[in-house]
Amino acid sequence: MADKTFWLGSDKYLCDRQLAQAFHISRTLGMPLLIEGEPGTGKTELPIQYARDLNLDLFVYPVGSKSNVEQFVARFDHVKYLRDSQIEILNAQREEKGLASKLTTGGRDPENLSDYVVNGPAVNAFKSPNSVLLIDEIDKAPREFPNDLLYALSHRKFILPESGEEIEVSEENMPAIIITSNREQELPTAFKGRCIYHYIHFPDADTMKGIVAKHFPKAETKVVDVALDVFYHLRNLGLERAPTTRELLNWLKYVKNFTTAEAIEKIEKLEGIGTLIKTQSDLEKIQKNILDPRDFQKRSTPN
Amino acid sequence: MFETLPERFRTYDLKADVRTLMILRQAIDKGLVKTLGDVYNVLKGIVVKDPEDMGPFTRAYYDYFLNIDIENGDTLSDAIARSETFRKWRDHKIEKNEIFKTLSDEEQINHFLDDVHLSQYDIKEIIAGRDIFDKNPGDKTDGDEESMDDIRERLLNKMADYSDMSLEELLDRLDEIAEQQKTKHSGGDHWIGTGGISPYGHGGAAKDGIRIGGTGGGKMARMVMNDRKFFPVDMDSIINDDNVDAALASLKGVIEDSAQEVLDVNNTIKNGLKRGGLFLPEIKNLSEQKLQVILLIDNGGYSMDPYVYVIRELFKKMKTRFAHDLETYYFHNTIYDRVYTDVRRRQPFMMDRLLSKDPNYKVFVIGDASMAPYELNRMSLRSYFRLKKKFKKVAWLNPEPEKYWHHTYTLNVIKQMIDMYPLTPRGIEKAVLEMNKKSK
Repeated sequence: MADKTFWLGSDKYLCDRQLAQAFHISRTLGMPLLIEGEPGTGKTELPIQYARDLNLDLFVYPVGSKSNVEQFVARFDHVKYLRDSQIEILNAQREEKGLASKLTTGGRDPENLSDYVVNGPAVNAFKSPNSVLLIDEIDKAPREFPNDLLYALSHRKFILPESGEEIEVSEENMPAIIITSNREQELPTAFKGRCIYHYIHFPDADTMKGIVAKHFPKAETKVVDVALDVFYHLRNLGLERAPTTRELLNWLKYVKNFTTAEAIEKIEKLEGIGTLIKTQSDLEKIQKNILDPRDFQKRSTPN
Repeated sequence: MFETLPERFRTYDLKADVRTLMILRQAIDKGLVKTLGDVYNVLKGIVVKDPEDMGPFTRAYYDYFLNIDIENGDTLSDAIARSETFRKWRDHKIEKNEIFKTLSDEEQINHFLDDVHLSQYDIKEIIAGRDIFDKNPGDKTDGDEESMDDIRERLLNKMADYSDMSLEELLDRLDEIAEQQKTKHSGGDHWIGTGGISPYGHGGAAKDGIRIGGTGGGKMARMVMNDRKFFPVDMDSIINDDNVDAALASLKGVIEDSAQEVLDVNNTIKNGLKRGGLFLPEIKNLSEQKLQVILLIDNGGYSMDPYVYVIRELFKKMKTRFAHDLETYYFHNTIYDRVYTDVRRRQPFMMDRLLSKDPNYKVFVIGDASMAPYELNRMSLRSYFRLKKKFKKVAWLNPEPEKYWHHTYTLNVIKQMIDMYPLTPRGIEKAVLEMNKKSK
């Protein structure tokens, strides 16, 4: 019986209440959870941390522009199959010529088709009860991929190619399936209809403090406050590519090597801003908008 | 139960159907729904499929379950403050505890939202609570917090008598009530609004429901109502800075790539022969990346001026995302034997050359197709005709609102040759859909 208790995050991961809720609903109903949201808001982190926290098996399928359902479920290795089936002839020929060494099939038997089925993450996840399956960045996939996935996911059943073996999972043992998307491409309506949908909103400053605390429990509150102040200020500038949680954490990682006073100074001088800002035009915009970095200092120490 | 829900939600342009009800029912069976706030959360997961659905969804929810009508441009607080539901709820609160009157409007609304979204009492209680409430009308005099708790305790104990009712039965009743509320606006039967939400506050008997915890349950709903990004952009308005992204989303559909593995016959034979007749199949990836777009923009004449900038923005954005072929040419009013490669139309590009390009290019012509009838002469007509004949996919996008189209003679002539769509996100979407249909 898969674990269906309400998971709220772990000591390493602060799970947004709304997200936790959607995740809970999806697990209880045995439906995949589709998470969309800005990059760097921790979409991928949820399944990883969940699996780690509860010590569950995690299967990841990173989607790319060449992804197809075969890679995801299982494919039949025709090349190996043909090779192995011809080996016997080859070995006979070799023997004729008096060659002692023989080619081996590595334990695979051409008579047994299932030896040549290469399982993808989906089958592996379905085979191990109560596991976690992450389908990462599905928006990168070719258009037909999500629809191909539909059948398999909603019937909780895969039929392996050639061998015809059926992999089925009961509703109780259904792995927790998490699908992430950066919205670079609209997903088919029918596909979305089969998922519990959740859109991650960018965390507000309070939540962000919580997130930072999970990552850097020893960080000085003062440093964090100043950094967040700068961070949200930058986000409000309307940049082409606004900095995200991931980048904020990287930045803090950089400044945490210094003493508090040094760190604050570095933040105020926007040192290491390259971790936050990724385009030239944004950098120019910041230079235009923030003429005096000491503005931050004034605001962060009002008295 | 909730049979009328899909219909009502659809009036808000949400996708709700029988499946929605089935999943909701499943959620109830599995114990996910214990409170009205749970209904909000579960339905949100099922119905909302895009951040833009959040706004309409929140409105639909408040309308359907609470009879609170949030109009365009309303804040949630205003809509609540105006509603009959809230008024009744407040009356009950005050009846129970005079202190409540002294709270500011804002605080009262916060309480209301908390009750709606946060309350941990069971839906069973909502129904049962009403009966008990009817039987105990005299408890309102005591304003003391502690004794209120006592009363609540007593009531909760009594409530055990109702526990043999199935949740479904209760929800059925709730549904009926929701219907009654719709038809009968006043009267004492505002259970959901009044009896339901008020009498027992957070006294909940529910134990396993999903709850939004922490700070303010209505926070999300309020945030949603105040932010335009949770509402759909107007897909029918001419492209502007606001909906350019939506237009882009539909344009992305032009890409036709597929990941397919096919047998590479040539290499299989070649390598097989090298191995002395041992043929191992060689696989190759068949990928079709066919985002080849020719863009023909009418940038002559004042009528087109307002649009040129956004159109270029649109395709520029597209170009940065997909480093594929995108070629832009310009023309003035109509196309004769040449187009131009620069905005100022100094560098001519002959139609013959354009027509010698790969027929797989998708061609978008953007222009108002309005000109003096003599301008659309034989040469020009011939150019359009050849364009259409050469390229499989040609679409004309017209910034002129569709309702004026029939006024323009030249537009109608061109429209007969080349499919024409309004230059709106929806128009582009249609054009793209048409283009993506597999060619015969």
